[in-house]
Amino acid sequence: MNLKRNKESPESDELNGVSPFPDEVLERVLSLLKSHKDRSSVSLVCKEWYNAERWSRTHVFIGNCYSVSPEIVARRFPNIRSVTLKGKPRFSDFNLVPMNWGADVRSWLDVFATAYPFLEELRLKRMTITDESLESLGRKFPNFKALSLLSCDGFSTDGLGAIATHCKNLTQLDIQENGIDDLGGGWLSCFPENFTSLEILNFANLNSDVNFEALERLVSRCKSLKVLKVNKNIMLDQLQRLLVHAPRLMELGTGSFLPELTACQYAELESAFNNCKNLHTLSGLWDATTLYLPALYPACTSLTFLNLNDAALQSGELAKLLAHCPLLRRLWVLDTVEDRGLEAVGSSCPLLEELRVFPADPFDQDIVHGVTESGFIAVSYGCPKLHYVLYFCRQMTNAAVATIVQNCPDFTHFRLCIMDPGQPDYLTNEPMDEAFGAVVKTCTKLQRLAVSGLLTDLTFEYIGNYAKNLETLSVAFAGSGDWGMQCVLSGCPKLRKLEIRDCPFGNAALLSGLEKYESMRSLWMSACNVTMNGCRLLAREMPRLNVEVMKDEESEDSQADKVYVYRTVAGPRTDAPPFVLTL
Amino acid sequence: MGRAAADSSSSSIDSSNHPSLSCASSVSLPNWSNSTRDLSTDLRLGLSISPNHDFSSTSTPREQRLHWPPIKPHLRSTLAGKADKRRQASLFIKVYMEGIPIGRKLDLLAHEGYDGLISTLGHMFRTTILCPDVNRIHPEKYHVLTYEDKEGDWMMVGDVPWEMFLTTVKRMKIARGDRC
Repeated sequence: MNLKRNKESPESDELNGVSPFPDEVLERVLSLLKSHKDRSSVSLVCKEWYNAERWSRTHVFIGNCYSVSPEIVARRFPNIRSVTLKGKPRFSDFNLVPMNWGADVRSWLDVFATAYPFLEELRLKRMTITDESLESLGRKFPNFKALSLLSCDGFSTDGLGAIATHCKNLTQLDIQENGIDDLGGGWLSCFPENFTSLEILNFANLNSDVNFEALERLVSRCKSLKVLKVNKNIMLDQLQRLLVHAPRLMELGTGSFLPELTACQYAELESAFNNCKNLHTLSGLWDATTLYLPALYPACTSLTFLNLNDAALQSGELAKLLAHCPLLRRLWVLDTVEDRGLEAVGSSCPLLEELRVFPADPFDQDIVHGVTESGFIAVSYGCPKLHYVLYFCRQMTNAAVATIVQNCPDFTHFRLCIMDPGQPDYLTNEPMDEAFGAVVKTCTKLQRLAVSGLLTDLTFEYIGNYAKNLETLSVAFAGSGDWGMQCVLSGCPKLRKLEIRDCPFGNAALLSGLEKYESMRSLWMSACNVTMNGCRLLAREMPRLNVEVMKDEESEDSQADKVYVYRTVAGPRTDAPPFVLTL
Repeated sequence: MGRAAADSSSSSIDSSNHPSLSCASSVSLPNWSNSTRDLSTDLRLGLSISPNHDFSSTSTPREQRLHWPPIKPHLRSTLAGKADKRRQASLFIKVYMEGIPIGRKLDLLAHEGYDGLISTLGHMFRTTILCPDVNRIHPEKYHVLTYEDKEGDWMMVGDVPWEMFLTTVKRMKIARGDRC
């Protein structure tokens, strides 16, 4: 480490505003800072603080992998042990970004191999990572401990096998929602028999069978295992055996709740759950029904997060289960529970802070089931601490949303998806402007908003006028013209991410944000009215932005079908595929 | 451990066939003659078998409805089979008791599993139906439950998982214990 002594006397130091502390002390103090936002602020104070901060930083968070280059990161931060990288725009989750768009972690790992040979943790979201990269992670980084892949692609189970084989100190392997090439479950058997350090193992979204005996041995010898999420090929009787080996689990993802158990096996399962006193998170539960859910009840007393996305429960089943989860803070369900199920949420979960309701049948227009505004209202009455909601429904009213935010004024994340695009208030037939107006007026702490339904300029005027803490806004099939987007860009000082699809916003709207985009992470606009000329103008005026366009197959030459704008210090992409035009 | 009953004209098949529980290969989604919708009974298939594609009605431009609503693909495929399972449907099949010419009809989907089925049949026919692995001391005094499967073979009820049974049963027969 660079040691630099202050040459001036202490009194004049204080007069000049220079820190009187020697660097070692400053670095020691700053090393206690964990939040990367705080660290960014600290680094702007003065040169000494910038240096002390950069030497003491051990974890770097990069929200857009193209905003900076790995060389720049390595030059600035010499002591990094943990990296978080996010790649593709969020709409790639819904297939709006073509394959091979980019965000390959390879170039980062090449730099890290020399700059950070002692790298311990790598967390990737929406990045591409190949089997070769996974192999090199295992071979070139002897201290590597934690790998988390969320919504990534480009790799197969062979890559996971490489990690299991080579990472002697692995504590965490967390594989979620990835476009993985599933070549079989043999990867799990690659963990050596003397390997015992695993604390987190999540393979819930992998489809193929792992060798159960290998899994059982792994679980029994990894005494520090805190998180275990298995896939749906693990049956109830197998789950029971795993639980016996790991009663100290804090997070459990069960396998399938099939097939039928004998009375004796059921008793054993119940006993195994009874011994799990530390469980605070539960998920999986494929095909769980009234028959075997009660076996879980003893383990639910300390539960704070229950993820029922894979268990299509009915309202009665949910009600009975929730009666055993008094401490629940986060709940994810399918809309098979219907409004009655949500009423049970309202009455059983007074501490609830987060609710996500997903549609079981999102693409079937004829379904009349699911949840409506009354379920949401019921939850708002019973759960005053609710601050995060993601709600998919087929009908909503302005009055209902007004009631909801009156009951729960502390929303930080309000994501409402009325599934039929452009649908008005179903009782009054009016636009849903007043609903979102109520949200932004009442919920002053709102950070994230997703709007839906029939919306005019008025919604966006409200957002621009009231949503002063808004950081992320998602808009689809809404608005009347450019004015709406202009309101948002001029009115929301903390806006960082704006993603828009299928809205009548054109060049005037795009260009009104010229000054704004450098203070934001990114802008996405697809199927709007933006043209190539508008994008070229933006690119010309703002050289520190990357303006990238992807055109659809049958579109006119002048149309800019998909536009992705982001600030960067790394210049235009050098790895852009042919269909990404950098203007 | 299924064995062909004596009165079947089809050939007996090897009794040690245990289809693997997590088979991903052999499923053909059957068309139930009695119900109006397909039942997806191999629930472990991760196939995206949603009957409705992303594109909605022809009244809206196709491009507008692409990839909407915003649900992640992995969620989509596990959801596809769920709602089908939960729809109200029925599966009535014929049940005969050996020696009695008039049979009964029974809705298999009204039962959660083999226990419920055997209990209902026991009430319907006023007899004791036993599972095949119970010790048989007086075989003429009780009955066992058999079924005819898709291939025309008569099998003992209870060997395969319930869901798999539902996909393959055509009709059932309550046979005397000493015949199996």
